[in-house]
Amino acid sequence: MTTTLNRPSASAHSAPKRALIERLNIFTALALGVISAVVVWRLALQFLPQDSEEAIFFNREDKITLLSMIAWFIGFMVGIGALIGPFRWVMGKDLSHDENMFYAGKDLGVKRYFRYTTDHKVVGIQYLVVTVVIFFIGGVLAMLIRTNLGNPEGGWIHPQAYNAIVGTHGIVMIVATIIMVTGPFGNFIMPIMIGARDMAFPRLNALSLWLIVAAAAPILWGLAIGGISTGWTAYNPLASQAPLGQNGYIMFICIFAISTMVAGANITTTVIRMRAKGMTWNRTPIFIYGVVASVALALPAFPVFFLSQIMSAMDRAIGTSFYDAQHGGSGWLYENLFWLMGHPEVYVILIPAVAALMEMAPVFTRNPLFSFNLAVIGIAGISGLSALVWAHHMYMSGWAPLLNIPFMLTTELISIPTGMLFLVLIGTLWRGRLWVTMPMASVFALLWNFMIGGVTGIYLSDIPADAFLHGSMYVTAHFHYTLMGAGLTGAIAALVFWFPKMTGRIFDAKLSWISFWMVQIGFQIAFIGMFLVGLAGQPRRVEGYAETFNTGNMVTTGGAYLIMAGMLVLLYALIHSWMNGEKASMNPWHSKTLEWTVANPIPLENFDVLPTVTTDAYGYGKEIR
Amino acid sequence: MSTHTTNHHVEDPDVVGSRNRLGVILILVADIAFALSVLFVYFYLKGQNVNDMWLPKATEDTAAVLPLSSSGAWIVTALAGVGLLSHGSALRAAKAKQNSQLVLGSLVALVLSIGAIAYQLNLIFSVNFVMGMGSYYSCYMLIAWLNVVHLALTVFISLGNWNRARLNLYAKDHWHVAIVNVWWIWMFVSSGLGAFALSFT
Repeated sequence: MTTTLNRPSASAHSAPKRALIERLNIFTALALGVISAVVVWRLALQFLPQDSEEAIFFNREDKITLLSMIAWFIGFMVGIGALIGPFRWVMGKDLSHDENMFYAGKDLGVKRYFRYTTDHKVVGIQYLVVTVVIFFIGGVLAMLIRTNLGNPEGGWIHPQAYNAIVGTHGIVMIVATIIMVTGPFGNFIMPIMIGARDMAFPRLNALSLWLIVAAAAPILWGLAIGGISTGWTAYNPLASQAPLGQNGYIMFICIFAISTMVAGANITTTVIRMRAKGMTWNRTPIFIYGVVASVALALPAFPVFFLSQIMSAMDRAIGTSFYDAQHGGSGWLYENLFWLMGHPEVYVILIPAVAALMEMAPVFTRNPLFSFNLAVIGIAGISGLSALVWAHHMYMSGWAPLLNIPFMLTTELISIPTGMLFLVLIGTLWRGRLWVTMPMASVFALLWNFMIGGVTGIYLSDIPADAFLHGSMYVTAHFHYTLMGAGLTGAIAALVFWFPKMTGRIFDAKLSWISFWMVQIGFQIAFIGMFLVGLAGQPRRVEGYAETFNTGNMVTTGGAYLIMAGMLVLLYALIHSWMNGEKASMNPWHSKTLEWTVANPIPLENFDVLPTVTTDAYGYGKEIR
Repeated sequence: MSTHTTNHHVEDPDVVGSRNRLGVILILVADIAFALSVLFVYFYLKGQNVNDMWLPKATEDTAAVLPLSSSGAWIVTALAGVGLLSHGSALRAAKAKQNSQLVLGSLVALVLSIGAIAYQLNLIFSVNFVMGMGSYYSCYMLIAWLNVVHLALTVFISLGNWNRARLNLYAKDHWHVAIVNVWWIWMFVSSGLGAFALSFT
């Protein structure tokens, strides 16, 4: 992706005011982060007093680790330049027009991708790269898990390390799936799609991205000091007693939660206040609804998770007793706080991915979106109900048994708005003139995978069935069918669909098809195998298993390797297409949304004259493409 | 807090200002969720009183743990309330283009926020907290530190607000002062919610 810019004068570049801004980039951030962490670590070692004899669960090492991680975070954010704007505001020296242009990446070429750049298109590309890197790390961990499970007696990984790998894989993939649509496409595509020149708060936009980069270090650091041995849920008081690596999880979540809050406020404000003239809510593309629903759900949900981790850190480091029952705390408190975020988070992941496919379905069927209003009602219904289902994760915990039935009902009710989204997609496909591209095939893949994920979810929402199935591989297979089978499928389709607009090149169609079939076939093999061993009783998060589960696990591991191969093909196709792909025309899919009306490469401010919208984006007839 | 976007195109300050205010309110939605969760934690653990360890009773070896007075928390809330009133007068002055009153109101608000945080920190460090004092003390610390974080942000924002008023940067429009007022309102409410919770031991 490039932008068309006029070069500023040399004197503007050499203005002394901009000297600091010009010097800061990812390398200064890394350097300052590392230096801060090392300095604080040394100081803490030197000056923090030893633990008292009464210290049971908390200790000096936790304090030192947490302080060092906080120092890393502050150092990194200072080093990338995130604090310049606020401090300049306090000093009354607002950024000049030239400085704002510099922040937007004007004339910086490829360097702007390594800076605190505010242009939403740059942030979108940065999000895409970060998402791919996170998926790569999570994928490697997944393959370690599956390879180890290829042998019934456990394999070559130490059980403690296996637990750490499972926990890290879980949280890394959850974060990757949360940002996989709203990050790259919500930032790059969404503002253009609504006819805006940028996001409402460009610097907050950059902040949300760099917070995620800053959060990556603690979780990798944590892997080196014991890892996350608790699974991604990090239940307390187990987490209070876990190795030092748990502090990495705590810091990771705290920083990521801030990023989510900032992004949520920014995206929501952008959509509410910056839509093009004439873009009424009835004319706003369905993808926008999906993105807004996702971030609006996350906005109140992630602070609760944030709090749960702050209390976890306090229990570990200073001996408070939020979760320690011996001293008046409660493990159920953690479970409630965690799942108050944890279940809406599933829809934070799913809704934008499904909405992206609903955006693509009319394009590739040349049909209008079937019942736009039903789609909006479905998204709103899922969003509303998702806040009322959290305790279905706690049926067997013993917390408030009388509430189990109400929570079972709310959980099963959520299948109604979900069904509406299915209906919209099927209605759009009905008698459509299909243009069978990989994104189009992904609509079918989503319908299949989401149906399996959804139906198995209904079983898990049922209290008697859950009594048997909870904590088993069946649960693992279920949520992979929803988050990966539906969510990731939608995100990959979005990548192929919007790739021409984001990079100016066409995504290699042949390789995208090869990858699609390898991943989808591998996925069915892997997770149907996992359903079977789960139904037979194999527990999740356990390194070894009985001989009777051997065949199912071999099948699952084989399927996982096929997924891995397909993903590597996709990665190759991404890099190859980006570097050498066929040049894309302005609107290769003949789509009717606004992002396809701007030229490639997209100008810095997207539109010279802001567009006026007079119809909705789905006015497709049956004309020949 | 800056209202500038990267646009070449000049936007109406009222459009930018109201957009910025909406953004701040949405960020406050997250902070409100956080603060309400803190209250939930307080009342949940108080209600559960797990192992009778909300406020442990006296044993043969240890004395009973007694609750702290909530008056300190109410004093912090009162300081925040006066600060809000002072900032409110600054906002009215900004609307009326009376810069000297704007500067004075902003300065008083800044001083009160510094006083409030100093008092809050003094309250925290005067508590001889040790492990095993029960979950009440844990919750007390959580609410007190939440107040400190809010007050620290208030000091930062109020400092900028006063400085910008001093530099006469609010001559064109008063949106920044109005947005800072939104924060002050929430600061006062959140402090009051904390004090309210601590009144129930």
